[in-house]
Amino acid sequence: MGRYDFRALRVRQTAKALFENQRNDFLPPWYRTIGDIPPGETLARPVLRTPRPKGRGARKPSRIFQPLSIHHPEDKLRDDFFGDHPWELARPRLVVEDSGNDAKNYDWSKIVQPGKQLDGESVVQRQMWLMKHQRMSKPAAYDQARREFYQHRHLEDVKRRIAKEEAMYVGAYFGKGPLEIGMDLENQSWESWKTWATKQIEEEQQMRAQMFSGSENENMQTSSEPEFDKALEETEDVVSHSSAG
Amino acid sequence: MIIRHLALRSGPWAVARSPFQALRRFLSSEIDSIEASAQNSVKQLQLLEAQLNAAILQPVPTIDPETHGTALSAQITDSVAAEYHRYKQHQQLIGHLGSHITPHYRPQTLLNHPPSPADVTLELLLASEAHQGHATSLWNPANARYIYGIRQGIHIIALEVTAAHLRRAAKVVQEVARRGGLILFVGTRDGQDTAVVRAAELAKGYHLFERWIPGSITNGQQILGRCRTKVVNEKDEEVPGFEEQLYDRSVLRPDLVVCLNPLENYVLLHECALNNIPTIGVIDTNADPTWVTYPIPANDDSLRCIQVIAGVLGRAGEAGQKQRLAAAEKGWVTFLPALDLKLPDESEDDTAKKAAGKARKEVINRFNEDQALGNIGEMEDKLDALNNRDGRRLRGGRRIKIVD
Repeated sequence: MGRYDFRALRVRQTAKALFENQRNDFLPPWYRTIGDIPPGETLARPVLRTPRPKGRGARKPSRIFQPLSIHHPEDKLRDDFFGDHPWELARPRLVVEDSGNDAKNYDWSKIVQPGKQLDGESVVQRQMWLMKHQRMSKPAAYDQARREFYQHRHLEDVKRRIAKEEAMYVGAYFGKGPLEIGMDLENQSWESWKTWATKQIEEEQQMRAQMFSGSENENMQTSSEPEFDKALEETEDVVSHSSAG
Repeated sequence: MIIRHLALRSGPWAVARSPFQALRRFLSSEIDSIEASAQNSVKQLQLLEAQLNAAILQPVPTIDPETHGTALSAQITDSVAAEYHRYKQHQQLIGHLGSHITPHYRPQTLLNHPPSPADVTLELLLASEAHQGHATSLWNPANARYIYGIRQGIHIIALEVTAAHLRRAAKVVQEVARRGGLILFVGTRDGQDTAVVRAAELAKGYHLFERWIPGSITNGQQILGRCRTKVVNEKDEEVPGFEEQLYDRSVLRPDLVVCLNPLENYVLLHECALNNIPTIGVIDTNADPTWVTYPIPANDDSLRCIQVIAGVLGRAGEAGQKQRLAAAEKGWVTFLPALDLKLPDESEDDTAKKAAGKARKEVINRFNEDQALGNIGEMEDKLDALNNRDGRRLRGGRRIKIVD
């Protein structure tokens, strides 16, 4: 714990020491190579924040070796757009880069780029372009980029619908949608619960029937009728005086 | 259906079979028999062929009535060159039609055609996600100099540093391969196997994509003692007849280890450090860079990044091996030959032994001088002292214990 092992970095010095002390008869094949291309300096920390000058209100410099966070001007625009359109984040997105130079081929004077799907990032980049090249204010550029985005999303929907209609016309068929599959599953479990519940009720009724023998039941029912009438008469006075009656 | 044909065809049948059946067959005019329809289609084809042959210069191959394929003679008469010419003409005519597919990322190209060290660009590293480190809370502060900044809670590795370290590591691999060192490529995570095997194949090295058996270096005689070894000459041709001598030799050790996932292979790296074997490792922001001799700061969780790094190192090894074999063709041996091996037909008497011993010492001295060329001077000692100062300064400054 807390120990640094520099043996991996000192292979050359160790090999030299072993050779000079006749522990090894010959130097390893990489000896010259590592002499020519030495391993880099390790465990060195660059100072990333300038410590504050001493004087009035000077504090002890802290976190000067920790990396700084990276900020881009479009971060705020991105926050705004996705704050207003949170469901844009739920759409599947392609994040694989082709050559790493993909962004250099985009021309944001139009919102649609060949080889890039239309998404929230398009709006942000288009807004940036409008603000920079057409001197538009931030809200005006946002509105324009947003409207173009809505228009293209609408066109995409139309295209998808027409494609489906065309496909169905020439004989394609599509299965159930996710909602229909969900409803089917729910119906299935409802039906199975219903059979289970009827069975339970039947069993319970049978149990009850077994617990009370048949003759007693009949006697109770026959004898109870006059008794019940009598009891009703007795309680009538009390109930009529209550607020509910 | 042509009734005349049917009468002609069913004539012999009518004689052979009962007349009633033939009559019934004759009267029903629903469908052709299979043979009759086939015959009809052949006739139609032959008619078409005749028409075509009259209309165009290029004769259409004739239909063979037995097999219903084009006749063999027709295929041979068309010369290959004419066919090829027609294909080219066709391609020129309609080759440019259709959609144009722009160059795009295809995952297998990194394995089939790995980039060479000269092809390493920051764009390539960026596209392969080499810059993505781990969450800031998982970092190892020793990696501070490889980190560019923090973005959305994760550390971003500086790609210039990655490229520089990768080129340096590639140079080391190339030099070690040129000097005939054994190179071991290790990547034990899921999906790294193909990249590791490909790199080893290019660099004519060795690969490990399953678990490193602890002790394979420190206790190699027990673990790898039964593995097959062979003797090769400088042109990589196997030389038979050394089997008995090889049986008693100690097991082979790598001269350079390339580890693509150091976090899982601490035991391997520790054994290499104990046995004074240099190592190259892909160091993510949560790994310890002192475990390896040559760190390559990059994302070790991205398979694309690992494929790029393994491919570059494999290509470097390939270049080194080519240099070595080219030198061997000219009669130069770039490595120290195994000295405790006797040629199978070497005589056993005393004078020969002495002569052999002398020659051996001479070879050793020559190679050691070659290795340490310039080492004798003060320059080299000073450089070594400078390299050593790294540790000493730290010892003075931060009071860390150093294991030697």
